[in-house]
Amino acid sequence: MGAYILRRLLGMIPMLFAITVFVFLLMHAAPGNAIDGMLNPRIQNIDQLKQHLREINGLNKPLWQQYVIWLRNFVQGNWGYSFSQHVPVRDVIGPALVNTLLLAAMAEVFILIIGVPLGIYQSRNPYGGFDNTASVVNLILFSIPYYIVGIFAIYLLAIKLPIFPSQNAVGTGPDAGTLMDHIYHALLPALSVALTSSAVYSRYTRGSMLDVARRDFTRTAYAKGLREGEVFRKHVFRNGMIPIVTQFGFDIGGLIGGAVIVENLFAYQGMGYVTLQAATTQDYNVIMATTLLIAIGVLIGNLIADILYAVVDPRIRYD
Amino acid sequence: MEPLLAIEDLRTYFINKDVQVRAVDGIDLTVYPRQIVCIVGESGCGKSMTSLSIMRLVPKPRGQIVSGKIKFAGKDLVQLTEQQMSDIRGNEISMIFQEPMTALNPVLRVGEQITEVLIRHRKIGKREAMKRAVEMLRVVGVPRADEIVSEYPHQLSGGMRQRVMIAMAMVCDPKLLIADEPTTALDVTVQAQVLELMKRMRDDFGTAIILITHDLGVVAEMADHVVVMYAGQVVESVGADELFAHPLHPYTKGLMASIPSLDDEAEKLYSIPGTVPDAREFPVGCRFADRCPLVQTSCRERPPELREIRPGHLVRCGLV
Ligand SMILES: Nc1ncnc2c1ncn2[C@@H]1O[C@H](COP(=O)(O)OP(=O)(O)OP(=O)(O)O)[C@@H](O)[C@H]1O
Ligand SMILES: [Mg+2]
Repeated sequence: MGAYILRRLLGMIPMLFAITVFVFLLMHAAPGNAIDGMLNPRIQNIDQLKQHLREINGLNKPLWQQYVIWLRNFVQGNWGYSFSQHVPVRDVIGPALVNTLLLAAMAEVFILIIGVPLGIYQSRNPYGGFDNTASVVNLILFSIPYYIVGIFAIYLLAIKLPIFPSQNAVGTGPDAGTLMDHIYHALLPALSVALTSSAVYSRYTRGSMLDVARRDFTRTAYAKGLREGEVFRKHVFRNGMIPIVTQFGFDIGGLIGGAVIVENLFAYQGMGYVTLQAATTQDYNVIMATTLLIAIGVLIGNLIADILYAVVDPRIRYD
Repeated sequence: MEPLLAIEDLRTYFINKDVQVRAVDGIDLTVYPRQIVCIVGESGCGKSMTSLSIMRLVPKPRGQIVSGKIKFAGKDLVQLTEQQMSDIRGNEISMIFQEPMTALNPVLRVGEQITEVLIRHRKIGKREAMKRAVEMLRVVGVPRADEIVSEYPHQLSGGMRQRVMIAMAMVCDPKLLIADEPTTALDVTVQAQVLELMKRMRDDFGTAIILITHDLGVVAEMADHVVVMYAGQVVESVGADELFAHPLHPYTKGLMASIPSLDDEAEKLYSIPGTVPDAREFPVGCRFADRCPLVQTSCRERPPELREIRPGHLVRCGLV
């Protein structure tokens, strides 16, 4: 397994390389550039100034040279400066990554404690009153985009009943920056993301459990005299969770990319928020760094999914 | 001798709104201790539903035992609560299935799948149960039994898996073993070994066996008594020797004629013409009438009764 993981990690390098080339080209193909947006158009001799700034930032060199320079610096740990915020890129990304990881972790926890148990409970008594009601509610939640859920959450729990903050990832009070403060700020965004996903997960879990409940080995378990609860715990649950756990691994990767819309809705300074800001100001260095991190997140998520798959299903072996 | 199992007029239907599939439609069946009873019949005649009815494992909620008695060891299984029934399953009556691959849980080790039966019915600890599981695997001829217990089903061959199923079924020393086409999924040499093993189980442990098959070769090999089913009913019930010597029901004769034999390889393989009637709407008269070479108009008027033509030889045909 160790060798497999190493092989997979090494395999990511060419993929990440390709991604940076692609994003780099895409970024520079867009009209305008970082310098133009930074300057007040009423400055005298603005064209001269722009020319000067381009030169000192290396933006007048051929594109491939710019890329090679960026790559060399990046590998050496020099991620450059943010054009729009005038601080090192690391200082922009560091806190954003922490915020996003917290948001992702909280959202995943909500999904796990809402979606999965709900799906299991539905599957225990399918087509009953509770199951049917839950299925309808799920379908509704599933069809509402999660930013609408976010807007409702803000309206109800931040404005009508001002319990939670409607924006920012950290507060301003005396406990600003503590873990509790972070969690408090991440709660509404996390719930907004999790509610829709929970609906998906409960549907998925319910379907998976019902599918396993129909399999031959479940009948064998009953034929052995095991009682309903035992059959469920030892046979149905263990098998029914396999696709859920795998899906969960994939979703971890997705959430590291940041829930772009929800983060922006809540002005929550995570990866999605920072990426969007950087894209609108053409903040090249920030965009390069965030896309790379997001790509790493997705690839690692996929790797986690594959590893989890092998952990829960003995038929899967990587060696 | 007292019968071990006596099924009386069992009816198991699948009911969906106003459609009724009469999968088992008035079966009588008796199994004596140590006896091997074979149930034969074409696909869809209700063999599996009969065995699942005995286990009370008919697929819910549509499948239901609508009437009849299943007397086993002084109890009517139809009347038992789910709780009482689960005490019998795997303990006094065990069942093995056709597909040993899908019938074993892919994510549990073989040992655990066997020990859980013991732990459920025999109030013993894990370690003791594991010792007995290994012993049982040896009894059913699994090599390296002490290693196999920590392997997963996918690591075993089809024949080994079926042996594991048999070990699992036999580990609590049941009085009755029901085997629903246990060898259909196996290749021929393995088939013979598994059948041999089941016979040995009967000889060594005194377990009675209901063996479901549509292979008359298997019947000849194994059966003490044979029950021929057609369209949810018993059409002939007789000792195995008598069945092969004097089959009486035209359907049984048809089945016999469709066995390929080595002598007449030039001839085309015989098969009974026509198809089984739809279980949602059986004809009024004899259910075999449309396919019967001897059919008379009277056959279609009244359903024939299952009658004792000779001592111990029951046939459902108005013409014999
Ligand atoms: N889940 C179900 N819902 C509705 N009808 C069913 C169901 N399962 C079986 N049946 C019907 O019940 C009848 C008997 O089926 P059964 O499985 O007992 O046949 P069988 O004799 O075991 O056939 P085979 O040799 O193919 O295993 C068939 O007509 C079948 O269509
Ligand atoms: Mg069957």
